[in-house]
Amino acid sequence: MLRLSEIKKSYHIGPTEVDVLKGVSLNVDKGELISIMGPSGCGKSTLMNIIGLLDRPTSGSFELNDAEVLYTNDDALSDIRNRNIGFVFQQYFLLSKLSALENVELPLMYRDDAAKFTREHSMELLRRVGMADRAGHRPSELSGGQQQRVAIARALVCNPALILADEPTGALDTNVGGEIMELFKELNAEEGITVVIITHDPGIARQCQRVAVMRNGVIVP
Amino acid sequence: MIIGANIKEAVRSLLSSKQRTVLALIGIVIGIGSVIAMVSIGKIVQEESLRQFKEMGTDVLTIESQFGGGEPSTGGRITRSAPKSKIKLADVLAIPTECPGISAVAPSVRGNGEASYGGKKLQNAGMIGVTESFLGINKLKISQGRFISDLDAHNQFCTIGSMVATEMRTLGSGDVIGKKLRVGQSLYTVVGVTAEVLEGGMRRFQPNETIYVHITSALRSSREAEISEIIARVSTGVTNTVARDQVLAYFKSKTKKSSVRVTSPEEIIAQMEKQMQMFTLLLGAIGSISLIVGGVGVMNVMLVSVSERRREIGIRRALGAKRGDIRGQFLIESIILSLIGGVLGILFGVGASVIISHFAKWHFVLSSGAILLGVGVSNAVGIFFGYYPARQASLLDPIVALKSD
Ligand SMILES: Nc1ncnc2c1ncn2[C@@H]1O[C@H](COP(=O)(O)OP(=O)(O)OP(=O)(O)O)[C@@H](O)[C@H]1O
Ligand SMILES: [Mg+2]
Repeated sequence: MLRLSEIKKSYHIGPTEVDVLKGVSLNVDKGELISIMGPSGCGKSTLMNIIGLLDRPTSGSFELNDAEVLYTNDDALSDIRNRNIGFVFQQYFLLSKLSALENVELPLMYRDDAAKFTREHSMELLRRVGMADRAGHRPSELSGGQQQRVAIARALVCNPALILADEPTGALDTNVGGEIMELFKELNAEEGITVVIITHDPGIARQCQRVAVMRNGVIVP
Repeated sequence: MIIGANIKEAVRSLLSSKQRTVLALIGIVIGIGSVIAMVSIGKIVQEESLRQFKEMGTDVLTIESQFGGGEPSTGGRITRSAPKSKIKLADVLAIPTECPGISAVAPSVRGNGEASYGGKKLQNAGMIGVTESFLGINKLKISQGRFISDLDAHNQFCTIGSMVATEMRTLGSGDVIGKKLRVGQSLYTVVGVTAEVLEGGMRRFQPNETIYVHITSALRSSREAEISEIIARVSTGVTNTVARDQVLAYFKSKTKKSSVRVTSPEEIIAQMEKQMQMFTLLLGAIGSISLIVGGVGVMNVMLVSVSERRREIGIRRALGAKRGDIRGQFLIESIILSLIGGVLGILFGVGASVIISHFAKWHFVLSSGAILLGVGVSNAVGIFFGYYPARQASLLDPIVALKSD
């Protein structure tokens, strides 16, 4: 599903060049549940953003679903994000002016075939993450764990093949974090969705089939 | 991309920063308002001149006495020291026979002195001394009784305008015919009432608020009284210019000292159009300046909105929004903002033209073209000044937008 080889990413800060990723190679198969661990600042989020097509590498090759990712067509990248990738962020990133249900439906706004997806489909997802009774609530009226559940429902609304979660439980206590993790495991097992989770929590990592450890811009074997 | 959802969100976002929205709207409202006022006043004046042509006909000349005896075309600057020379009534009545280009004349004398009935002052009444021909030349109609006749020279009779009659009735006159009213030192018996006439028009007097007496009565009433204005109908088949030259030559031959000014309807309409041009220029200048100011206001609001919502833009991009979607979202927001300004501006502009036409005594007409223009212009402002901020938003890098706060 994901095939990264020799991915490098560097930033220019004034005259100095900072190499954040120094040649990351990583393969993830379809249906895998994999976690990425590593010390703070080693480049995990940078790697995740590249996998999620939000950022582009300085060099290296990246194949998604057996097709080399081309960065020349921005609209095509948007389309892939919309159709194939579900994002779950540490800060939830829900839109504060929209209700939970409207937040879940948001990605549908950017599809031509949005009519295929009924309101019932979005409600069903909210039910699945246990938030059906809060459909009309604004994010500010929800707890962190509840917001993250809504964010997961949003990530699922376009039936993605891949879910990218950057420290999804980073702002939650162990109990709630465990429940969120259960959700990911369920999605992986029942729907075959590939899940990549960045985490600092060894307890979370232990529940994954595979753990990749990053250090200093590379994945250590 | 669903337009409906975009509109809903644009309204939501504009409502969440009401103050800023209102401030941005002021410029647009003034700008669109001025443009609307400009266009609708242009339309009103056009209709007005058409109406006056129809009402009075184009074959009417106005002859006025002029002080100082200068050339008729100098516009007659009045100086107190200049000796006055009165036009003689007999000379005026001879015009149709002396000038073949003129078929009829109606001289008039402005009277002075307060008008009263039963000892109570009549608020809206001015006296004019006229001849029988005055009625027809001014296209007035009689609603009751009769008009002053040429045989009334030695009678203290008057015919009154509809408003004067109304006022007399409120003072308790009952049927006004046969009642006596006072102007200055003289008493006049009412013999008729003229039908109500719409305001405005080319007449230099208020037909509804006038007390018409025979011209000799008016000339007799005071030593200062003189023929101030003569309305002359041009004979068929003669151009206004030819008739005018005949009149000027005639007066020149009569006396060296007196001179007259002759105005044709074309000149009056030209004057009106000049007046309108001034309005148009002024409103056009105000309009275009305010539209630019308003547009910059819209741009400013949108730039602030974009920079405040960078995080939101990043989220939307992550969820699959294309650059065009983001651009569309912000464009719709600025168009809606401008359209709200446009609608308010239309109200403002229509209001302004109602007021202006009220004071200029023009007939107000609502032009649908002006409204369409208002909607169109505000739309254009929204697109033109909203495009830059919307483009800025769409060019934001997803990851940069997402990381910003
Ligand atoms: N836009 C940027 N410009 C310059 N340097 C950057 C930029 N973004 C990230 N970095 C640098 O890249 C490095 C890796 O950042 P990244 O966010 O990937 O770390 P991380 O592994 O996710 O850390 P954490 O576990 O704390 O989230 C950091 O040293 C950071 O300073
Ligand atoms: Mg990180």
